Amino acid sequence: MIDRVIDSRRMDSFDWQFLALMGAILSIGVLSIYSVTHAQPGGRFPLYMKQIIWILVGAGAFITMLAVDYHKISRLAYVLYAIVLVLLVVVLVAGKTSRGAQRWIPIGPFAFQPSEFAKLVLILVLASYYANAPREGWLQRVVLPALIMMPGLLLILKQPDLGSGLSFLAIYAAMLLVVGMRSKALGILLLFALMLFPFAWEMLWGSLHDYQRERVMTFVDPAYDTGGKGYHALQSRIAVGSGELLGKGLYGGTQSQLKFLPEGHTDFVFAVFAEEWGFVGVLVLLALFLGLIMFSLEIAAKAKDVLGALLAAGVIAMLGFCLVINIGMTVGLLPIVGIPLPLMSYGGSAVVTTMAALGLLLNVKRRRLTLFY
Amino acid sequence: MTTKDPYRGRRIVAAFLLMMGFVLVLFRLFSLQVLQAEELTARADRQHRKTVTVEGGRGGIYDRQGNPLAINMDVPSVFGVPASLENPSGVARDLARVLHIRADEIEKKLKQERSFVWIARKVDPEQGRSLERLSLDGIGTVLEGRRFYPKGPLLAHVLGFAGMDGQGLEGIERRYESYLRGEKQLVVLQRDALGRTVFPKGLNEQAPAAGHTIMLTIDEVIQYITEKELDEAVAASKAKGGIAIVMEPRTGAILALAISPKFDPNIVKGISADRWRNRALTDAYEPGSTMKVFIAAAALEEKVMEPGTMVYAENGRMTVANTVIHDHEKSGWITFAQVIQKSSNIGAAKTAMALGEERAYRYLRAFGFGERTEIDLPGEAAGLVKEPRDWGRRSLASIAIGQEIGVTALQLVTAASAVANGGWLMKPYVVSDIRSSQGQVVAQFGPQVRRRPISAETARTLTGIMEGVVTNGTGSRAAVSGFRVAGKTGTAQKIDPQTGAYSSTLFVGSFTGFVPAEDPRLAIVVIVDEPHAEAWGGVVAAPVFRKIAEQALPYLGVSSRAPVRLAMASY
Repeated sequence: MIDRVIDSRRMDSFDWQFLALMGAILSIGVLSIYSVTHAQPGGRFPLYMKQIIWILVGAGAFITMLAVDYHKISRLAYVLYAIVLVLLVVVLVAGKTSRGAQRWIPIGPFAFQPSEFAKLVLILVLASYYANAPREGWLQRVVLPALIMMPGLLLILKQPDLGSGLSFLAIYAAMLLVVGMRSKALGILLLFALMLFPFAWEMLWGSLHDYQRERVMTFVDPAYDTGGKGYHALQSRIAVGSGELLGKGLYGGTQSQLKFLPEGHTDFVFAVFAEEWGFVGVLVLLALFLGLIMFSLEIAAKAKDVLGALLAAGVIAMLGFCLVINIGMTVGLLPIVGIPLPLMSYGGSAVVTTMAALGLLLNVKRRRLTLFY
Repeated sequence: MTTKDPYRGRRIVAAFLLMMGFVLVLFRLFSLQVLQAEELTARADRQHRKTVTVEGGRGGIYDRQGNPLAINMDVPSVFGVPASLENPSGVARDLARVLHIRADEIEKKLKQERSFVWIARKVDPEQGRSLERLSLDGIGTVLEGRRFYPKGPLLAHVLGFAGMDGQGLEGIERRYESYLRGEKQLVVLQRDALGRTVFPKGLNEQAPAAGHTIMLTIDEVIQYITEKELDEAVAASKAKGGIAIVMEPRTGAILALAISPKFDPNIVKGISADRWRNRALTDAYEPGSTMKVFIAAAALEEKVMEPGTMVYAENGRMTVANTVIHDHEKSGWITFAQVIQKSSNIGAAKTAMALGEERAYRYLRAFGFGERTEIDLPGEAAGLVKEPRDWGRRSLASIAIGQEIGVTALQLVTAASAVANGGWLMKPYVVSDIRSSQGQVVAQFGPQVRRRPISAETARTLTGIMEGVVTNGTGSRAAVSGFRVAGKTGTAQKIDPQTGAYSSTLFVGSFTGFVPAEDPRLAIVVIVDEPHAEAWGGVVAAPVFRKIAEQALPYLGVSSRAPVRLAMASY
């Protein structure tokens, strides 16, 4: 099957450019991870090596998601969702805890984070839900998919993993946007949301850990206390700002190299890059991301069926949301929630999920000119 | 494809939302990296740059043979980074076990809202290694130069000691601080979030030069002998303390300076200033009969007396200004030489009265009493010699027998050295030269004449009389077989702090002298403070003189004249 796909359809220039953008961002990510962690004693597998291994695994996922017709993949959506729910329960029962959150299933030297995969599975589930039958009326269009999403969302918030939880909502919102809502339905939804807000707030705020609350609280004034609550936000701003126009050069980022900037290889990898390459480097990086998004939007627009359009929209929502939130929090525009920067932050589950999602996206594009059935 | 795109509107909305996000981020980045760049760079610099003063190692102190007496050693200091500790009490317990400090004290330090705290500075290297093996998070060690005195208490009162930050606090360490201290250099270091210092790559790591080396005139061997004999005498007589100084009369160089009881400069914490004060030069005392030597010198120089001049000793009792002066040994007519040899108070008083107040005062000052010797050690006292206009009617007689006058042990040995040195009063010194860390001589100190209180002839005559003290007088126990010894005993009553009058039980026994008398190589003063039972200087101090000389002379290669003398003695 895979062979036939490769043989029968040559990669066109669009595909190559798409791959080049993805590869460039992945390389920048590995370089930044190497830069910030190379001085640490790494054991047998230094972090950048692990990341490269994950990228290779991700490449396998990318090819798989590209090769198998997305209609076929979508048919597995509910089965995959069931598996993910089981994994999320496993995490809650036997997961590895780190900094107050229980998110990981350890496998040897690696740790596996089901909430990342859950995002992609949610895209498949919601897309096939809307594509399988015409969903009419606000109950079918709005409430039912929300109920489908709910078990996964609650399990993720229970960990807690606020970032992935918000990604769920972003994907859901993107789907609604694609299938369309009448203004009356939108109005009801907003009213409903407004009424539910106190309860939701209580549930969300109540599920937050102390450190997360502090992050939100001190978002207003991160300079309030350099040693404690606003530390991450402030250090991130200092690292980014002190990169100035041209940056401090590779390995030259004092704030990240000297560990003033926390989580330099994961959530704050953008700050590492910004410190070392300056505003000019950041413009290049943002251009690469923007290019990837533009390509994705084009794929979504030219999808040959509803399922393809929904899948593409879901992937764009997932990537775009993570991108904006991560960079937003790095530069101090948004409160700090643990969301990795797509394709750049260290983390196997995120890298594999993102690459699989991009494979699915390209899958939608490559099959738009063929007639099936 | 259909011409009408049903998703167009929504796609525009989606693209618009994403674009908004991008534009916002871009504005923010521009604001941070261009508009606020300067301010944020300054903030970053404040965080990671630390301008520190790097100092070269402190210079060593060596005796005149080049033996180390004070050196620098790099030892670990333990610090904590409270912010990065998750379990301060557990860490504190671990530290307490290794460092032998109370865990709750450490815990208190570790719970401070600070980025850096010292837990223990300059600890044992073995403890440092144990800590490294534990590798506790948020706990680190740095090497700091610690002053180390390899010989322990040896010469402690002269060496002094240096504080925790390597600053000289006493003795040579304090006096020569500016030489001993290493060169200072301002270095901009990088500091990581844990407060650890990181040398930036490419920094010219040229360490600042180490401090200068101080070479002393002290001889470790003679110092050891002196301390040992003094300590033994102090212990044997159950005395409160003691002082002994060995000087080279011709140069004024100090060969040994011992204070008892001693202290270990490696462990000064908890030791009071009383213990480490160099009493040989900081404390003046009433010297007693030793003073007769210098009154005699004046009388001889002024031709008021000759060794054979007869003096009537009043059979041991003389009234001066309504007070009575006693002699220990009742005599009638005795020679002037015998006045010194028998240590007659009455004879000495008469000699002083024959001199008159002005001359007596002038000679005492000429011998250096009542002024600092200008030795290169801190804290020296001038002693107390009142001017004649402040004297009472008894003062002249009192001063002649070493009362109403305050002198330091150093002044005594320096004045005695002048007699030994043909009348030349030298300036005492303990540092012979200062060398740079590369070994070049930076400064050199040699003998310095201060003045000449008496002529060579007077000095020779006086030496003869002083030899009689040992051969035929109160100082017989100072005799060193094979050498001619000149000296004078002293037994001073102390003022009883309760009554304010001279005590009948508190004494200071001393012996001041030099050897060999014909060619003096050593001038030695021995003072024993408040000995129990026998307090006579001739009993408690003279033997110490003998024991020091007996060992130091052969060590210095001074040959004994014993066979010659024996031959001459047998007619």
